[in-house]
Amino acid sequence: MRLPAHPVRYLLSLLLLALTACAESEPRNEPSGDSPANRQKIAVLLVNHGSRSSGWKQNLLELERRVAPRIRAIDGIDTLSTAFMEHTEPSISTALKALDSNGYSDIIVIPLFLSTGAHVFDDIPTIIGKKENPATLEQMRLEGIERYLPSARTHLSGPLDFSELLAKNVARRAGTMSDDPSREGLVLVGYGSEPFREAWERTFEKTGRQACKEGGFAGFTTAWCGHVAHYSPDSTSAAVGRILKQHDRAIVIPLLVSFSERFQIDIIGQGVASVAENGRRVRYRPDAILPDPDLDAWIVSTTKTIAEGIRKEQGHK
Amino acid sequence: MKPFDNARKINNILHRDLGYFFAALIIAYSLSGIALNHVDEWNPDFVITKKEISLDRGYAKDEITASSIGRFSALAGEPSFRLYDFPSERQVKIYYKNATMLVDLGSGKGTYEQVSRRPLFYQVNVLHRNSVEWWKWASDLFAFMLIVITVTGMFMLRGRNGLPGRGKWLIAAGALPPLVALVMQQL
Repeated sequence: MRLPAHPVRYLLSLLLLALTACAESEPRNEPSGDSPANRQKIAVLLVNHGSRSSGWKQNLLELERRVAPRIRAIDGIDTLSTAFMEHTEPSISTALKALDSNGYSDIIVIPLFLSTGAHVFDDIPTIIGKKENPATLEQMRLEGIERYLPSARTHLSGPLDFSELLAKNVARRAGTMSDDPSREGLVLVGYGSEPFREAWERTFEKTGRQACKEGGFAGFTTAWCGHVAHYSPDSTSAAVGRILKQHDRAIVIPLLVSFSERFQIDIIGQGVASVAENGRRVRYRPDAILPDPDLDAWIVSTTKTIAEGIRKEQGHK
Repeated sequence: MKPFDNARKINNILHRDLGYFFAALIIAYSLSGIALNHVDEWNPDFVITKKEISLDRGYAKDEITASSIGRFSALAGEPSFRLYDFPSERQVKIYYKNATMLVDLGSGKGTYEQVSRRPLFYQVNVLHRNSVEWWKWASDLFAFMLIVITVTGMFMLRGRNGLPGRGKWLIAAGALPPLVALVMQQL
């Protein structure tokens, strides 16, 4: 190809060439059509939101290490890996590509998210090709999140929204900071979701009630720290204020899957620090739901249930 | 020509030519900066067009079939749908090619939403957010060049209107608002 001599035309031609090359090298994510229906090789993928915080990633990778032996002991499963929806690698598409290249017929995807929200209901199903939510597709393109439709069948589990596990988790964590539960109230701080507000409130309501019953705490309230609260500490400080009006002491519990400096330190920590009597009447530890042996057990039992379903389905074919 | 005169000449040429070269990007980043500053008040990337839909009555989840979804879709002007799913016992979400509809089954009210890119802002935000992987390096270079443009701007003139004259006072005045903001944040 001859390039023009004029400098502007020369530059434009180069740009055009570069764009054409990019368009041609874009990966094609359509299913290959070579569906491995006759072979059964099951992998498990633990999917979480992801964060720029190294603490977040480390907690999730430790979880994978803890549950891996029990997951691999399940008939038909030999691989467990972790993927991050945003901010860090391996992304969901990277992990799915690796599993595809290793010839897995089925991938059990377990989202480690607290409650039903846009990420679990729309984003993850769209990333793995089970849905095509137009808003998610546009947002993914903008945020540079790659979509990948694996050749393997994917089986998406429900999110971690049953309050029994959460209630035990909250009661245990609050118990370590408590002097006299009958005079203390809990502040449960979660990410929150505007379109799924009802589901989030229901989960937190149930968790709070059960945690109070289990730990003997006098009451509870909820606060949000995510987009719904504009990532502001105000919701946390207001919630602490509500508890202190009724009880002697507030115990603040972040109901977040893992630890990130942004949420546990900057947002919730500042919310606690801005309360006038925080030193004497507020107790707070910037921890997370993880590590929790009950969560490990939930992952194992969820995997077992889905794997059994896959085997039964295969048996019927 | 004195050596300082020569340096000032190079300085001024650098300032002028870098200013021309980065003019488009400076405007793009400024527009995007304003747009992203107000991310809590508007969606800087997308225009969401909403249409409220009323069903003939309230429905229970177990009444929902492909044919009832087809009827709900027709109310929003959609001849067909891709799939539907239930975010909760009371809600059904219907997916179309370029839109979705969330229906509250109990009340029989639905919201149909279409997403389209906000012209100009979407494109400048793509650059500002580094949505193209390699762009962050171009963005770093741009940021460095902004420093060069600013520093060369300080040394363009001599005398009363130069840095030793009014320049130093204006630099001090410009540094004041961010300093006040930082002090206020610490209080």
